[in-house]
Parts: sequence; C-alpha cells; structure tokens
Amino acid sequence: MNKKLCAQIAFLVFILILWQILYSMHIWPELLFPSVSMIGDAFIRAFTERELGVMILHSLRLLIEGLFIGVVFAFILSSLFAINENLSAIYNMLVCMFDLIPGIALIPVAILWLGIGDEAIIFMVVHSVIWPMSRSIIDGFKAVPKIYTEVGKNMGLYGAKLIFGVYLPASFERLFSGIKVGWARAWRGLISAEMVFGGGSALGIGYYITDRRTNLDISGIFATIIVIILIGIVVEYGIFRVIEKNTVVKWGMVH
Amino acid sequence: MGDGTLSTEPILHIENLHKEYDNPVTLVLNNVSFDLFREDFLCILGPSGCGKSTLIRCIAGFEKYSGTIEVDGKRVESPGSDRTMVFQDFNQLFPWITVINNIAYPLKINGMKDKAERLKKAETYLNKVGLSEYRDYYPHQLSGGMKQRVAIARAMALGSRIILMDEPFAALDAMSRNQMQDELLRIKEGEGMTVLFITHNIQEAITLGNRIMVMGNSGNIIEHMENPIEKPVTPASPGYSELWKHLNRLLRNECQLEKGQ
Ligand SMILES: Nc1ncnc2c1ncn2[C@@H]1O[C@H](COP(=O)(O)OP(=O)(O)OP(=O)(O)O)[C@@H](O)[C@H]1O
Ligand SMILES: [Mg+2]
Repeated sequence: MNKKLCAQIAFLVFILILWQILYSMHIWPELLFPSVSMIGDAFIRAFTERELGVMILHSLRLLIEGLFIGVVFAFILSSLFAINENLSAIYNMLVCMFDLIPGIALIPVAILWLGIGDEAIIFMVVHSVIWPMSRSIIDGFKAVPKIYTEVGKNMGLYGAKLIFGVYLPASFERLFSGIKVGWARAWRGLISAEMVFGGGSALGIGYYITDRRTNLDISGIFATIIVIILIGIVVEYGIFRVIEKNTVVKWGMVH
Repeated sequence: MGDGTLSTEPILHIENLHKEYDNPVTLVLNNVSFDLFREDFLCILGPSGCGKSTLIRCIAGFEKYSGTIEVDGKRVESPGSDRTMVFQDFNQLFPWITVINNIAYPLKINGMKDKAERLKKAETYLNKVGLSEYRDYYPHQLSGGMKQRVAIARAMALGSRIILMDEPFAALDAMSRNQMQDELLRIKEGEGMTVLFITHNIQEAITLGNRIMVMGNSGNIIEHMENPIEKPVTPASPGYSELWKHLNRLLRNECQLEKGQ
C-alpha cells in the first residue's frame, strides 16, 4: 500500500518535472503553456486575491442539496412504483430513458423552466443523481438474500421496519455505489452548467474557469482544473473510502 | 416427555396439513398431522426432497398451506417471534451488526426497551453457547459452527415458544457436529425449550430427539414414535442399533420406491 503510494507520488513529481522541462524549452508560447510555478501562483491567487474559495463553497452547497433531494426522491419514486408489476415496469423504462440524457443537454430546459438561478443547478444535480440511485435501489432491494428478509420477518419486522432494519443495510453496498455514480455525474454536470450560466444566485467554480479563459489566464485555468481534481480526491478518499471502510468492508460484505 | 405435571395442551397442533407448490404443481405435504408438546424435542427424518423444509417453513409462516397449523390454539398466518427458525444456511446472522447485537436486536424489536437489559440478556445466552469472547466480532469473522451457535443463542434469547431447526448442523464436519449436538441437548435441558429439528442423519435424530418422525416420499408421515433410548445416547446404548436399523430400513425403502417409480 505504502509502496504503491510512493510510486504514485513519484509519478506525479515526474510529470511536474517533465512539464517544467517542456516549458523551459519554449516550444509553445507562455500564453498557452505556463510554468509550474505560474500555475502554483495562480492557485494561491485564486484563493487570496480572487473569490474561488467562496465559489467552491457555493457550488458544493448546491451539489449537496441536489444530492439529498435526488436520493430522497429516488427512494420515494422507487417505492411508489414498486406497488405493482406494471408500475415497476414503467419506472424501469423511465429510469433507462432518462438515465441516457447527459445533464448538460437538460440545461436549456432548466433555464427556460426555472430561470438562471440556484434552482436550475439543483435541477441538474437532481437529474444526475435520481436515475442511477433509483437503479441501485431497485436492483439492490431485489438482490437482498431471501434469508435476511425471512429472518427479519421471523423476529417480527414488517413494512417500514423491515425496509430500515433489513433491506437498507443488506443492500447498502449497491445504494452507496448509486450515490457514488450520482455524485460523479452531478459534479461534472454542475461545473458544465456553471460554465454556461455562471452558477445560480452566486458564482460557482465553473464560472471561475470560464472567467479565467476570457481573461486569457491559462495558469488560472490549470489551477482551477487542479482544484477540481483535488475536490474529487478529497471526496473519494476522505469521504467515500472512509464510509466504506466503516460499513461494507467492516461487515465483510466486500473484500 | 417431561415430568407428567406438564399441561397436556399441545403447543403446536397440526392436522390434515396439505401443501402444494404452483410451479410446477406438486403436492409436497400430504395429510400431515401431529402435535408438539412443551419441552418436546421432535426430530424429523426423511429422504431428500420429501418435504421436510416445506413442513418447517409452513410452521414458521413462510408458506401458504391448507389444513390446520395452530400455535397455542392460534392459526399460523404469518411469521412471528413465537416460532424462531434456525436455518441450515450459515449466513442467517445480519452481517452489518456485531454478534452481541445480532442477539440483542430481536429483543429490541419485540419490545425490550432498556438497552442495558437487552445486552445483559444477550450476553447470558452468548455465554451459554460458549462464545463470550466473540461478543464484538462481526459474523464474517466467525466459523460456520460459531455462526450456528449464535443463531441458536439468538433464538433462545428471544424465548420463542418453539424453536424450528432445519438441518442446522448439516454443513458441519463430524467432530463439530457431535460437539454441537451435546451442547444443544445440554442447553435444551437447562432451558426447557421445545424444539422441532429436521435432519438427514439417523444418529442425530436418535441422539437428540425424545420423539422421532419419519417422512416418506409422498409427503406423508410413515413413522412417528417415542425415542426409547435414554439420554445421553451413545452408539453403545441398549437398543441403539435396533432403532438405527429400523429407521434406516424405512429410509432405504423410501429411496428405493423413488427409484422404482
Ligand atoms: N418454491 C418451490 N416451488 C416449487 N417446488 C418447490 C419449491 N420448494 C420446494 N419445492 C419442491 O418441493 C419438494 C420438497 O422440497 P423440500 O425443500 O421441502 O425438501 P426437503 O425434504 O427439505 O429436502 P432436503 O432434505 O434436500 O432439504 C421438492 O420436490 C422440491 O422440488
Ligand atoms: Mg430441506
């Protein structure tokens, strides 16, 4: 594990050195290919002189709200449509259909229906989350081993208690992978939407990257891309992996 | 069967039980009738596929049936904590909670409000199956035999009227199987449990049961007897080999009948 980490870090350092060498060879103009230290500078300035910190917080707030709404609605819809076989066939079809629409393709609809504001962004995020999440709920609940539900019923669980006491924990791995897929899509969708119209009531990270482009600030663009990568890494390793380690891994449900 | 002062009302009353599966249409239980009394340990033997699991699943309330199944005079309509099932499958513990919580959780569901009380009771029963040190383990960290012990402790702690066991030791090696049989008998005597126990294994039925029932291929009962051999049973116990031969002959006949068809 530690050896792998060393290898990964060494590789990143190698890329940085290579980048710097390419820069010092002046093959491309500085305007298109900045030096490592210029990108570092732009990174720091983004947070000190400019408002990237505030924008990130705004983007993340919308993302979390949308994720929450998406997950809740996925649960409500999946359970409503589970009432009978025809309804669940219809919902399966809906999930397949809507899941195919890239978030960005819905931006025009969001703008026309909801205007340029937080609602449009949240709409996008909800769209990114609700379909993969529904799929995880439907497939996850179906895949719960019969023995767990029978043991649950045997000890006196039924209805909502059976859902919370058995179905949710027993399908946690799939539900969680639904959230992960949803988050990854929502994060991309959110940045795209903000690049198109700034980012709701306040400006977001996607706005910042467009703004840097209009200012011909290539270092700023690269700095923002690094920020986007860093946030992704923090969420993956700082949140998702930690949750997994304390649930499905601890329970021996994944290896 | 106990000391004679026990009430003569059966805990479990089964009469003219029939069970048919729709897909494919097969009659699995054919006119099964018997009673189970307090502190009975009834072992059911039968060839594979004769309907033993179906019978116990009907009693547990997992299957629809026609005829009568009553527990304490009440018709069985659905699963309930008055009849706890111990399955053959090792994976019957909830993997997402620790061993102790697997035993304590059903107590909570069944109205024991005080957490300390629940844990204390769970610990008592975990101790009875000799797994106190494994209190905070998760089920995947236990061996198959240990998981079955915890499942038995879970059923006992809940204090069900009847414990239904569907070949709980079938997947264990001979050594642990014998050990589990001794343990189960000891606990059963101490707790005064009422047990319905399904097995393939004649030795197991003779060792554990105070009554033995044999089912035939057509889902009927072909033998129902008191176990005349005194506990503890060993292969050297008087009458053991005669009884073993008798049961073996019944089972062999059933197997041959099936092949002859
Ligand atoms: N859900 C089902 N649908 C249709 N047929 C079934 C179903 N479950 C069991 N059967 C059939 O019912 C018969 C009895 O099965 P059951 O599992 O009760 O046998 P068993 O005596 O427990 O066998 P074993 O000793 O192998 O566990 C078998 O012929 C089986 O094919
Ligand atoms: Mg069976």
